[in-house]
Amino acid sequence: MNADKILDAKGLACPMPIVKTRKEMKELESGQVLQILATDKGAKADLTAWAKSGGHELLDSQEEGDVLKFWIQKG
Amino acid sequence: MAGKTAIIASNGSLFDAYKVYNIATAAAASDHEVAIFFTFEGLNLINKEAYGQLALPAGKEAMAEGLKNSNVPAVTELVEMAQELGVKFIGCQMTMDVFGLKKEAFVDGIEVGGAVTFLEFAKDADVTLTF
Repeated sequence: MNADKILDAKGLACPMPIVKTRKEMKELESGQVLQILATDKGAKADLTAWAKSGGHELLDSQEEGDVLKFWIQKG
Repeated sequence: MAGKTAIIASNGSLFDAYKVYNIATAAAASDHEVAIFFTFEGLNLINKEAYGQLALPAGKEAMAEGLKNSNVPAVTELVEMAQELGVKFIGCQMTMDVFGLKKEAFVDGIEVGGAVTFLEFAKDADVTLTF
């Protein structure tokens, strides 16, 4: 899946993936897609909830080994 | 603002710092308006001399390594992030007087107030937490 920007949050513990995602998301225009890479297992539930509460759409998420990948479209 | 989160920080160990600042930064990153009221030992968490070297709770010293390995951010970093995200810090005037501490003893940008200052903020909060 294509992304307008990629955020590498691998190795970061809670709450950093969320804080960094918010920062990157602010830079994007509505409709653009941010891809996030994370290794924090909690990010799966957290990013899902974060996207929902912020009016964004979690388009897809995948796991590749230890790395979680998310695609969030800005609302 | 997506919501409002009011937090009371009344304990001063390293664990307390993570409890308070993780929730505060996560709430702020979710577009909540956030204020933390620091009272009693909670003042350690914003005390310039103390907040960079908070002790582990008694008996939990063995967890220092776990903290290091799990790559959690430093407390000083969390404080900076919280302030960048607009989290409001309120130091409890009464406790500061009891401890003989002035506003200058604390990180920049704090407000000093009493219980009513916090209550005024918290009265219509969506989330209220005490640590």
